[in-house]
Amino acid sequence: MKLRHVVAAGMALAFAGPAPAQQKEIKIGFIYDVTGPFAGGGSEPAQLGTKAAVDMFNEKGGVEGYRINAVFADAQSKVDVAINEMTRLIDQEKVDLIMGVYSSAQCVPMVQQIDARKKFLWVNVCIATAVFKDRQLSYVFRPQAHSDQFGAASCDYIDYYAQSKFGIAPKNMKIAIIYEDGPYGAGVAAGNEAQCRKHGMNIVLKEGYSATAPDLSSLVTKLKRSRPDVLLHTGYNPDITLFLRQAKEQGLKFKAMVGHGAGHSQIDKLRQSFGDDVNYFHSIDPAAAQLLDPKTLKPGIGELTREMVKRYQALKGPGELPPHVSMGFNNTWIFLSDVLPRAIRKYGGFDAEALRKAALDTDIPPGGTLQGYGVKFYPPGSQLAGQNERAFPVVTQYIAGRAYIAWPRAIQTADPVLPFPKGHAFAP
Amino acid sequence: MEVFDIFLLEAILNGLLLGGLLALLSLGLNLIFGVIDVVWICYAELIMCGMYAVYYLHVQYHWPLLAAMAAAVVIVAVLGVILHQFVIRPVLGAEPINQLLVTGGVLFFLQAAATLAFGIEFRNLGVTLPSIRLGEMSFSAARLVAFCVALAGMLGMYLFLSRSYLGTAIRAISQDRAIMPLMGVSPARIFVLASALGGALAGLGACLLVLQYDVHPAIGLSFGPITFLICVMGGLGSMAGGFIAAFVFAQFISVGGFLFHLEWGYVLAFAFFIAMMFWRPQGILGRR
Repeated sequence: MKLRHVVAAGMALAFAGPAPAQQKEIKIGFIYDVTGPFAGGGSEPAQLGTKAAVDMFNEKGGVEGYRINAVFADAQSKVDVAINEMTRLIDQEKVDLIMGVYSSAQCVPMVQQIDARKKFLWVNVCIATAVFKDRQLSYVFRPQAHSDQFGAASCDYIDYYAQSKFGIAPKNMKIAIIYEDGPYGAGVAAGNEAQCRKHGMNIVLKEGYSATAPDLSSLVTKLKRSRPDVLLHTGYNPDITLFLRQAKEQGLKFKAMVGHGAGHSQIDKLRQSFGDDVNYFHSIDPAAAQLLDPKTLKPGIGELTREMVKRYQALKGPGELPPHVSMGFNNTWIFLSDVLPRAIRKYGGFDAEALRKAALDTDIPPGGTLQGYGVKFYPPGSQLAGQNERAFPVVTQYIAGRAYIAWPRAIQTADPVLPFPKGHAFAP
Repeated sequence: MEVFDIFLLEAILNGLLLGGLLALLSLGLNLIFGVIDVVWICYAELIMCGMYAVYYLHVQYHWPLLAAMAAAVVIVAVLGVILHQFVIRPVLGAEPINQLLVTGGVLFFLQAAATLAFGIEFRNLGVTLPSIRLGEMSFSAARLVAFCVALAGMLGMYLFLSRSYLGTAIRAISQDRAIMPLMGVSPARIFVLASALGGALAGLGACLLVLQYDVHPAIGLSFGPITFLICVMGGLGSMAGGFIAAFVFAQFISVGGFLFHLEWGYVLAFAFFIAMMFWRPQGILGRR
């Protein structure tokens, strides 16, 4: 060895500090769809929201000294792939818990399996009530509102404005319910039917269809025959655009459209396809955080929301953030800021049992999260054990590409425009 | 229901227009199978490539729509030739199941490649053709164009295959692949020609679909399985059989979906398909 090499090695040793202790970490497996039709229907924005929340925690040193090692898996908009990825994350990646999941069709079979294996699942997006109803799950928790609430919100909204805006008594209001026939669409439609019937409304058509159907013209023809005043629609993305295109081509007319999240919440994409034809459409989802007045929320949440918006727009450019960004961000944030620290401090770690106990202790009052709702989970033994009892969806109306909260009235940001004004593409 | 239901008539006519679209999609797949004896399971993904070609050329590069469509037909024809030369030709002598698996692999490759290249966004041309109104009935002009193009395509293929030298060679190869080389016809050249024609028909289908559907990497899922079933029902390799099967299938979907629950339209169509497979396993006009 030459002399200069010896000197260099000696200097390196002299100036090198002690080897840094390896930081402790918690490994979380996140399952979303970043390919296939669900990706564009809100799953990708939800993943970006989640990623922003994880990054923000890691930038501040993690949670209770634990760095978050995030492993993202793509469910490819397929149920079997979602289940396989969940198995891979648990058995091969050895993750400590699973989080995410966009599609209810994936959620329903996944929760049964993961609960039986006593692994912990924190559901960020999927909404079907059937995920929890009567299943007595122990290790699955969802801060998100559920589909029965989505279904009820649209009927409550239409019922409230039936007379004052439409000039039609609720019992004479003709409602058509159309939906993709997976657990998500069927769950929301069941909620629609139950609540609209409670209000005495006239349901003139209730019909499901496959989200990958190549043709919906006979559905449009049936709608033309039943002449509804209001259309309640639950779908993803390719089916919504196909339906609207065929509805316009076939001359379908109605007075208001209330969508229920997923494709209906991707207003920028709908406007690219249909321009002003989707003006005054509605979508029901938990509130997009950026639409809420931060003064009504816990101090500090306004800054968090601004950071979320900044990070998302840095990746995707300016535009209306779909509520799925908030779902991914907020629900991840709730877990990392509230449940996980308590599991570590109070229950000694983050195995499924500690996380379950910590989740059941959660008690965030309304206004305590980015999306405005509080968090308190239905306890074991309840019909919806593991579901957040304080979550609620809002009705958003899109006017000239901007989103406004139209319902509930307490947090309304604009007086809703009902029915469609004259000259609208779908106005009778 | 009234004695004469105008909406039932609308459903029947919409079924007819849907049939035209499906017939056009099945034409190329049947041509390929009839001549080369290989099923391109990835056929709908070639259509997806054509839709992206039209979208990018027209929307991003501002080509006139018709020029973009013509270019898309050529691009997908070239893709068809590439598919044949690099994927099909090496497995021509292999078991049919291996050939199916290979083209199935191409299906997933094209879907994944499209996701990487174009992203997951749903894209559309922003072109809306006017509707055609007849009293209370209303129809998609884009579908009507597809219907007319399908008829013209079928007629064109018939004339090409029956009146031209190349068409005669294609028919001869499809009837007896072993004897034709002795007559001076090169099967390899005919296969390339058939692949180019099949690709061009996929490109033509893409031009018509892109007027009615958003483009995304998974669009093939909506049309691939149904196109394959139509070809099987009509008799794999029989273009006339596929043409008839497309209209029968479309009427089940449209009228069945109108008279009963929408999903019943598909249930009835598939039940009919299964019954046909028992009654005529070779398909409507297929050869035993």
